[in-house]
Amino acid sequence: MQLVGRGKRGRRPPRSANQEWVCGRLKYGAVCSGGPEPDGRCRSTYECTPQQTASGWICRRPVPFGGRCKRGPSPDGRCCKPISPCKPVRSMRAKRDVVAYAAAVVTVICLIGAFIAATGTQFLMPGPLSSAHGAIENCSACHTQSGDGKLSWIHGLIVGDPLGDSKACLSCHKMSKTAFAPHSMAPDLLRLSTERLKKVAARTPEPQAARVRHSLFPMTDIMSKGLFCATCHQEHQGIAFNLDKISNAQCQSCHIVQFDSFDGNHPKFSNYPFTRRTRITYDHWGHFGKHFPEIAEKRGPSAKIPNTCSSCHTSRNDRRHMAVVSFDQTCASCHLDQILGKERATGPKGIAFLTLPGVDMETLKSKNAPIGEWPEYSEAEVTPFMKVLIGRSRRGAALLQKIKDLDLLDLTEATDEQIAAVSQFTWEVKGLFYALLSGKASDVMARLNLGDGSDASPQLLAELTASIPRDVITSAQREWLPNLGAEVEQFKNAPNAPPPDQQTQAPPATEGEGTPSWTSSITESRLAGSVAPDELAQGGTGLPNGAGSNAGNEAVSGDRAVGGERLRVAQEGWRVDAFGRVIKGGSTSAPPEGVAPDDRGTASIDDGNSEAASDTATETDSAADAESADSDTADSADSADADPGAAAAAAPAPAPPIPTAVDAESWAEYGGWYRRDYAILYRPVSHQDRFIHAWLDLTAPRAPKGNPSPAAQVFNKLTNKDAQGQCTKCHSIDDVPGKGRKVNWAPSSVATQRGTFTRFVHEPHFGVLENRGCLICHKLEKGNKYLKSYEDGNPRSFVSNFSAVNKDLCQTCHTRNEARQDCLLCHKYHVNGVITPIMNTRIPKQ
Amino acid sequence: MRRAVGRAPAASYAGQIIQGAFIAFVAGVLCWFVWLSGSALRDAQYFDGWLLASGMLLQVYYHIRRQTSAMSPKAAQSWRQIHIFVGYVIFALFLSHSNLALPDTGFEWALWSGFLLVTASGILGTYLAWSVPAKLGPDDRTAFERIPIQRSELARQVHILAMSAEKAQLDLALPSAPYQDWIADLYKNVLRSYFQGACNSMAHFFGSQRHLKRIIAEIDSLERYVDKTGQNKLNAMKALVLEKDRLDFAHVHLGLTKLWLFVHVPITYGLVILAVLHVLVVYSYSSGVL
Repeated sequence: MQLVGRGKRGRRPPRSANQEWVCGRLKYGAVCSGGPEPDGRCRSTYECTPQQTASGWICRRPVPFGGRCKRGPSPDGRCCKPISPCKPVRSMRAKRDVVAYAAAVVTVICLIGAFIAATGTQFLMPGPLSSAHGAIENCSACHTQSGDGKLSWIHGLIVGDPLGDSKACLSCHKMSKTAFAPHSMAPDLLRLSTERLKKVAARTPEPQAARVRHSLFPMTDIMSKGLFCATCHQEHQGIAFNLDKISNAQCQSCHIVQFDSFDGNHPKFSNYPFTRRTRITYDHWGHFGKHFPEIAEKRGPSAKIPNTCSSCHTSRNDRRHMAVVSFDQTCASCHLDQILGKERATGPKGIAFLTLPGVDMETLKSKNAPIGEWPEYSEAEVTPFMKVLIGRSRRGAALLQKIKDLDLLDLTEATDEQIAAVSQFTWEVKGLFYALLSGKASDVMARLNLGDGSDASPQLLAELTASIPRDVITSAQREWLPNLGAEVEQFKNAPNAPPPDQQTQAPPATEGEGTPSWTSSITESRLAGSVAPDELAQGGTGLPNGAGSNAGNEAVSGDRAVGGERLRVAQEGWRVDAFGRVIKGGSTSAPPEGVAPDDRGTASIDDGNSEAASDTATETDSAADAESADSDTADSADSADADPGAAAAAAPAPAPPIPTAVDAESWAEYGGWYRRDYAILYRPVSHQDRFIHAWLDLTAPRAPKGNPSPAAQVFNKLTNKDAQGQCTKCHSIDDVPGKGRKVNWAPSSVATQRGTFTRFVHEPHFGVLENRGCLICHKLEKGNKYLKSYEDGNPRSFVSNFSAVNKDLCQTCHTRNEARQDCLLCHKYHVNGVITPIMNTRIPKQ
Repeated sequence: MRRAVGRAPAASYAGQIIQGAFIAFVAGVLCWFVWLSGSALRDAQYFDGWLLASGMLLQVYYHIRRQTSAMSPKAAQSWRQIHIFVGYVIFALFLSHSNLALPDTGFEWALWSGFLLVTASGILGTYLAWSVPAKLGPDDRTAFERIPIQRSELARQVHILAMSAEKAQLDLALPSAPYQDWIADLYKNVLRSYFQGACNSMAHFFGSQRHLKRIIAEIDSLERYVDKTGQNKLNAMKALVLEKDRLDFAHVHLGLTKLWLFVHVPITYGLVILAVLHVLVVYSYSSGVL
């Protein structure tokens, strides 16, 4: 029995598109009119539901199912055509939904199974790491919040330090402190660059895409949060992926200057590649046009004159940089003699370091100034070095201030106060000599203020003193101030004071200070009007900034001492004799242990017994020697006998000096210390002379232009155009705002290129240069006032020998269809560099 | 013969081309936005990923709407069009999101293959939705659910035709050729099984008519031997055979339109679960980049 809709095919509307159950007889084509219940039970019982009318029950079978039946309902109202129940089946849609739910469950089960079966979370990776990071096995090495467990990655959903993962990058890739700033550059520098580029942006047409990008995706949010490493370096892109790859559009996204391409609207170069003048002053055109021809003419074919650019410039050592070859390779042939002073026509070839300044003796004597022994004929000036050394104490600095405007050789119009100041100054000079002799030169130098309060390193001390031999100072003292020792003694012991052997023993020094157990007990009062002995020896500064270190002076504070070593005045009767030797009172017995005898017994000509490597020479001739011998016999004696037990009263006559026609300055033609007149001079040893280098480096930060301090005077002396060594003829000087000045010792290098936005590798271009070579890009310009620009201390105010490189020149090859023109070809992002330093590997222990 | 080889009018072709162009345009614009976001130092994969997720949500919403509420045919048609349109667009977004590269890990393979299966089945369904009506003819309104009913009706009719005898024939005293028997035999041997249920599905799938031709040939071969009455019967039976063949054809092709959903919908359920996990994993491992 079937109920088939006899209407037109397709006319009968479906019950519901969402019905879950359909009649079980559908496949036979015999569906009932009712259809199953929503829960899947068949509800058809009869073919119709009879309706009672006045005339009785009538059949209500739907027309599609045959309409009214002939028999009609039974009298009791039941339909005459019962339907046996079917087994409803799920509709297609319902079956599909069952399959869908099953698929979801299977998916979840598979995921759980994958988590359980997997050894880690590698199966969640979006892709393999690049080759550079391929050895990293733990996800947590980079994803700091994710951990290594199978489910620990869920922690990453909790908001943490957004820079945490980027900081993990820095554990291997070392960068500057501004690593997360744009370009890893200090914000203030970037701001300056941005301000400069605003003008360029105003005249550069912005591409449409850039405008849309800026309006849709403004960069302010990105910049304010800081740039993450992953912003540009996207990992998990495969082994061969280039992590440095970034598109031009990405580069430009932050920039105010927007353009389409290099050969399009890329801004013109502005003074490229030079942003500052060269550190080594080298007038190319001056050399090519004038000096080289002169040398060639003078020396002939043997002259070593560069004939190609590559004679002086090379990029072999580091492709990133076109370096200058060393001085020895290219400059020495012409400039070495200038450094050594051989070509110096006038003035001393050495630098006057210590002098016995000339003073107006007549005036001082007339005014009974108590200056003690002082040579009458000295005309030497106070050297800036002495000003630094004397000015290291406050007292010395005050004295220098008082006498700075005085002509020491003409004091006729000086006031009494000035005369007194000059007198005190002479004692300061004497005290300096005494300190250098009784102690060590390095001890005196160690008390100079180095600015940062740190101790002077042994190397710096050696350089500042150029290892000056003691004999140089000793011989100078003997000649200039033979009674220096006695005079100092006299000042120690006032005229009315008891003799030294009756003086009270000084309290023992504090244990551990390393000082001798007995010290002098000289009081300031005994030196009224003269230099306090403690200040002679105590740390002070020759430089304006005050107290310095006490290196070399083992126990200064609280003690009164003279020189770097303690004078021994004690009950045992030791005293300092006229020779400056420490002797027992009245006798010439050997000094106590620990006290070096004054080796005054050496001849006036250094016979090679000097301690230091530098040569010394004294000015000798027979007359001078005889004169010194005569002067020595009165108060002191030059004795060739080093025996400290020689009688103090009478010394044997000195041996006659070896005659020579070589003066002291010529003797020191290859550098070193020598003495001339009333000056101790130093002649530069060679290029990179350490003495001049050390003093320039020490004083430059304290020598801004116009500064009158002693340090600035040293700096000015060593840097003026007639200075010995001629260092700053080639090594330019830059003004450093707030930090004095700076001498540029080295030419530009890879290190000095840090902080620049561009890079250029010369080597790939060598093969495409024509005959003109370097001059294709670097056009030499005659007539530029190159040297004049160095008069200004601002390194960025300069005139180059070469015209700036033109963008059009680069564009001849770097166009769309020829050579690369992407941003990263010429520009670098991390301007301060990124390094991967070597790890700290512990040395294995057995 | 049986079915009209549906040729869609030129206007619908033009409409489809315009539709395709519009889909391509929208996909292109979205991809351009994705590129812009990437060039603005955003991670483009986050952007297109969320676009993709939004599209998928929209698609799932259509499915939920179909499940939970009865939409009018017009609304269902509109939604279906939107569903297809969005499907094409998110396929372009998927290509952008995957960087046109094959996946590397198991999880990615699951996502990738799931999405492709859903997309492929969707494209198949779209094709079927267009091609089946075209094959069935523009005036055909056959509903898949009613095919069994119509088939049974046809079977009943052909049974009546085949088994009923003319009254006049019974009154004849003289024996006549057993035309009715021949027709009845034909019915019993050939047509009864043919009309019993769906058959020749593979032939209809590939568009073959060999089976039909064979049956028609059988009928035609008998036709020359019977009288006019028998010929009329045979013609009527032939018409019923053609109708039955049409129903079988419709059954196969309309069945395909139901069957592809057995791939499309279940895989979508699994894909949604995988996508949720994917989003969680991405954000947990994100290195601060958004």
